[in-house]
Amino acid sequence: MSKKQIPEVDIVVDEKAGVIREVKQATRSKSGHERRVNTSIYIILVIMSIIWLAPFVFLVFQSFRSYKLESGGMVDYLLPKNGWSLDNYRFLFEGSNFFPWWGTTLLIAALCAAVLTLATVMIKRLGSENRHMKTLLTVLALVVGYGLFIALMVRLLGLAVSAEIAGKLVLSALLLLIAGYIVARFYLKQDSRLLRSIPGYEKEKTSDVVKKVIALFAEFAVIFAILACILKPMTASQYLNWYGNTLTVALFTAVIQTVIVLSVSYALSRLRFRGRKLIMNVVLVLGMFPGFLTMITLYFLLKQLGLTQSGAIPGMILIYCASSGMGYYISKGFFDTIPKSLDESARIDGATRFQVFLKIIMPLAKPIVIYTILMAFMAPWGDYVFASYIAFGSEPNFNVAVGLYRWVNVNDYQGYFTRFCAGGVLVALPITALFLALQKYYVEGVTGGAVKG
Amino acid sequence: MASVTLEHVKKIYDNNVVAVHDFNLEIKDKEFVVFVGPSGCGKSTTLRMIAGLEDISEGVLRIGDRVVNDVEPKDRDIAMVFQNYALYPHITVYENMAFSLRLRRMDNEEVHKRVVQAADILGITEYLGRKPKQLSGGQRQRVAIGRAIVRNPAVFLMDEPLSNLDAKLRNQMRAEIILLRKRVDTTFVYVTHDQTEAMTLGDRIVVMKDGYIQQVGTPQQVFDTPTNLFVAGFIGSPQMNFLKARLEKGANGYQVNVLGVQLPLNAEQNAALTERGVLSQDITLGVRPEHTSVLFEKTAGAIECEINVNEMMGSELHLHLSSQNGDRIIVRLPTVDLSAEQRSRLAYGNKMYITFPAKVMHLFDPKTEKNLIFG
Amino acid sequence: MTDLEYLKLSKPAKLIFRIHQFFKNLPGMAWNGLKGLGLAIARLFGGLGKSVADLVTTFKDGDWKTRLSYLIMGFGSAARGQWGRGLLFFLFQTVFNVYMFMPNAAFSGCYYLGKLSTLGTVETYKEGRRTVYGDNSFFILLYGVLTIFFILAFIYTWRLNVKQNRISEQILKSGHRLKSTRDDVKSLADEQFHKTLLALPTLGVLIFTALPILFMILVAFTNFDSTHQPPGKLFTWVGWDNFHTLLSTDTASYGNTFSQVLLWTLIWAFFATFLNYFLGMLVAIMINKKGIKLKKMWRTILVMTIAIPQFVSLLYVSKMFAADGLINGALMRWGWISSPLPFWTDPHWARVTIIVINVWIGIPYLMLIATGILMNIPADLYESARIDGANAFQMYQKITLPYMLFVTGPYLLTSFTGNINNFNVIFLLSGGKPLSLELSGNAGYTDLLITWLYKMTVNDTNYKLAAVMGILVFVVTAVINLIVYNMIPSVKNEEDFQ
Repeated sequence: MSKKQIPEVDIVVDEKAGVIREVKQATRSKSGHERRVNTSIYIILVIMSIIWLAPFVFLVFQSFRSYKLESGGMVDYLLPKNGWSLDNYRFLFEGSNFFPWWGTTLLIAALCAAVLTLATVMIKRLGSENRHMKTLLTVLALVVGYGLFIALMVRLLGLAVSAEIAGKLVLSALLLLIAGYIVARFYLKQDSRLLRSIPGYEKEKTSDVVKKVIALFAEFAVIFAILACILKPMTASQYLNWYGNTLTVALFTAVIQTVIVLSVSYALSRLRFRGRKLIMNVVLVLGMFPGFLTMITLYFLLKQLGLTQSGAIPGMILIYCASSGMGYYISKGFFDTIPKSLDESARIDGATRFQVFLKIIMPLAKPIVIYTILMAFMAPWGDYVFASYIAFGSEPNFNVAVGLYRWVNVNDYQGYFTRFCAGGVLVALPITALFLALQKYYVEGVTGGAVKG
Repeated sequence: MASVTLEHVKKIYDNNVVAVHDFNLEIKDKEFVVFVGPSGCGKSTTLRMIAGLEDISEGVLRIGDRVVNDVEPKDRDIAMVFQNYALYPHITVYENMAFSLRLRRMDNEEVHKRVVQAADILGITEYLGRKPKQLSGGQRQRVAIGRAIVRNPAVFLMDEPLSNLDAKLRNQMRAEIILLRKRVDTTFVYVTHDQTEAMTLGDRIVVMKDGYIQQVGTPQQVFDTPTNLFVAGFIGSPQMNFLKARLEKGANGYQVNVLGVQLPLNAEQNAALTERGVLSQDITLGVRPEHTSVLFEKTAGAIECEINVNEMMGSELHLHLSSQNGDRIIVRLPTVDLSAEQRSRLAYGNKMYITFPAKVMHLFDPKTEKNLIFG
Repeated sequence: MTDLEYLKLSKPAKLIFRIHQFFKNLPGMAWNGLKGLGLAIARLFGGLGKSVADLVTTFKDGDWKTRLSYLIMGFGSAARGQWGRGLLFFLFQTVFNVYMFMPNAAFSGCYYLGKLSTLGTVETYKEGRRTVYGDNSFFILLYGVLTIFFILAFIYTWRLNVKQNRISEQILKSGHRLKSTRDDVKSLADEQFHKTLLALPTLGVLIFTALPILFMILVAFTNFDSTHQPPGKLFTWVGWDNFHTLLSTDTASYGNTFSQVLLWTLIWAFFATFLNYFLGMLVAIMINKKGIKLKKMWRTILVMTIAIPQFVSLLYVSKMFAADGLINGALMRWGWISSPLPFWTDPHWARVTIIVINVWIGIPYLMLIATGILMNIPADLYESARIDGANAFQMYQKITLPYMLFVTGPYLLTSFTGNINNFNVIFLLSGGKPLSLELSGNAGYTDLLITWLYKMTVNDTNYKLAAVMGILVFVVTAVINLIVYNMIPSVKNEEDFQ
């Protein structure tokens, strides 16, 4: 017989509690042992945190060492000896009118966003029951806002009107219209008089309204900033060029790839049709081939289309998006968890499959949509291989990864190391901020994906 | 308002499993039909074929006069209530109920009128502004029903709508469905595995097993004259008792030998058996627990049993007995008639004697499992 | 052996029994696989035969509209009022014909198809100062493959077009109405919604993944490399020579190098997967322990390595460990060492350094996953274990670990194959270095198959070997997948937590 004593039963049911929580407390003397364990865990965690953060802290420190006065290369000390300097950062922007451009653009964007927000809120408060009237007014406001934006850009920034710019103007107008539609759809959806008359109807809180207005303003401001980036009426430095390229690629990839991935995963998860299994098996087999195998072929295919070197930006977007349908696993796994009876119920209610997709599944799939957008947006920032191959030798068309990699590895890195650090910091900052802000959705995506395989 | 007709309807799945064999049924306009059977009997599949959620492999399905085999669910003019309610979690109860009307581009005023009216019928007016998550099970069920009735569908389909509710709520909702049925006078097709629901709700019951229809009839018919062993066992609670017995054809009519007791049949039964030309044979004798009486003393024509379990249900007792050759028998006893002395004798191991009149006996062929008289 | 007898075995005995069972079943499985393949082929031919027979009967029974559709695609559909379908069929046929039989014969589908067997015979030569271009083997192969794709697609569409006629005839005969173009367009949002959703993604995968992969598989059988580079030079078919070059162990071949790189790839994948897995789980358990405060902060700190683009973090860390980098500098200044530690110059140092740095990158990811799963382990499992008298370690061993392994089994598999192809970490950290004269083909000691493939493509333009390597990576991945998938069901006896 074992002498093990059966611990007394004192189970604390605590829903939120983690799993390993009450592992010890029953048998041992709680306080002393528990405290020792916790202390050692804290020590381990602190050490880990130091290891995890140290490289990033070092990176930041070294980015402030002047390459002119001290040394741009690698040295065996950390803190700058000749004082902290912004030389590296200055270098990144050298030769560009970025700051005046950005300042003015920001002003213009803020102004236009304010005008549009005001217009939208006013239209919303009109309280008209006529949806068409509202939509018309919204479109009118958009046109006015956009016109104002263009006029100011031309006037204040001396935007030269050429065929290329005209094309970009049309493109950006489309962008704005799409955004405007979304805005009209969600912000103008004022509850009708009838709805307000039902019992249990809760009036919107003032704080909610304020939040909505702020969100609206931010949304417009971001759109205008993006438009400004597309229009690009500035002389850019080498680094800014790369940065702009990457941002453009990332934005387009995020949108297109998300649409593709969601379409494919919805089709494979919810619809039943001949060849569904075949498609999944073919994708599985194709996925086992290493991606770089296809690189040369893709290069020549793109070359035929004129999408290499000087056309590398659309080329990259094409490459990132073309095969993105193969990465459907995680979002399909998510769709699989939404009960099928919702679809069936909606179909009996009279919805087409397209309407089911748009009105039922999409609103429920918000976390996975955000996860997909986040992943699609982040990937282009880190891609070196395809980007360097497609843009081979055409420096203005590099993305940040290629440009910075060349600074440290191909150029004399002894001279460019601190500038690489500065460039890296500027790339990492917004991406990290975005990631940490949306961390929740990322966690949801990876855990869901891992559990379902 | 419409009838629903199924002619030789068959469902074969991709893996060649046949879920429904040759289903023939005519559901009349404004009739309430219940499909009942154990899980996997094909009742839900049949309902989903009527809804258009499953393809029909063979046969013809009509709603009204129209053949709807290849018509999309949205064009069939039906509404359906699902077992797990299938409420859209991201919109309010109001919008849930208005969803189908808005898809049909109905006028706002009309939508509002219908939603409020339906909510009024179901008593969920005060929850219209809430999201489904904030509702209890019973309220969700009501919303699901409300979502179906706002459309005034020609056919109302319900797929085990009460099975996610607890027992008390289920009884209450069952009564409400009966009331609802009086208000929205339309064709109902209702699927359940619970025979009590089937008996209480249906104008007609369709008992199914393994993809075959076993019997179609009013609740009374199905209860009184089950056509086979399965229906006899499935309908009624507690289950019908089955005893091994022998049918003997004698000079003055048929008699049943069971556990050493001879029980003559009545005139009607005799006539029916004679007409069918039934000979002496082994049979399975079926007797419902509520048709069995208990005697405390040995009497001629009574079967001797031993008490196993005595279940007290309040107004009645369920007595579990075993006969001499091991057949298990359940008897229902109203408690009012029992004296204290009698109760004390209903203990484990005591001997009891049971009798039943000829007219409550059901005779089944043990091989074909058919009822010898009605099958 | 009955189930009960199996259950009586001790743990190692069970394992031995399972492995024994696996190998005993192996021939059977292989046989079943072959049989399945044979059946599939038989079905394919059967289907083809049926198709041909069907074509004949359709022609015999069909009216003149149907018969004309054999020549002019879509005619039948258009003539029966289905304009949309008819037009699409006709358009496809026209495009196909134009592509195949373009008047400028030098670039038609037929031209490429005709040259496919030789990959071109006319050399490029110089006439004085002018270059006269001959055949371009690359395009012949690429467009040859594309043409074959196109022809298959055409045959399929043509067959569809004929079938359409038969179906339409039958529908009309039974007195029903045909779907109008309007109905067809409408159904794209409903019954045929999957076509709308999948059309573009499928096309993208076909052209930008399937076509290139097929092309590269074919390149593995040619001598396409830096000395046979179009448009200047031709390349041609060489059969299995490249496989021989890469796999045989002659002195002039790559066999030794290949086996070394493959071995390192597998070692790397093993450590990168399982070291991260167990350490990540450990960290998750520590952070989630009751009484530990600031859980969110610890998590956020660790997650930084996921958030920051790898080319920044890994490039920087790689420089930190360089001979003249921060770490060596600091150690030397403090007098702990006299010469730099050979982080990137000694093969063993480099390999260990890479695995360790990968832990830095990989733990947070596993920590997040493990946290999610740990939260989901039903608390009553632990409660019941405590009542049974288990201590903390036993609970970890008997509950936490099996549960995690069971839930993340498929993930471990994908993670393992993912690490075989983990390009970024190796490329950004060491670039495959250190190089050595003992290894051929410019491979370094930390090169994985995938980075070696990259080098062959980009630095050496040795496309033929890169193609062979790609195929071999596929084979390795596929074999691992097959084995593990076949093993997983055999584990289900014990670890079923569902």
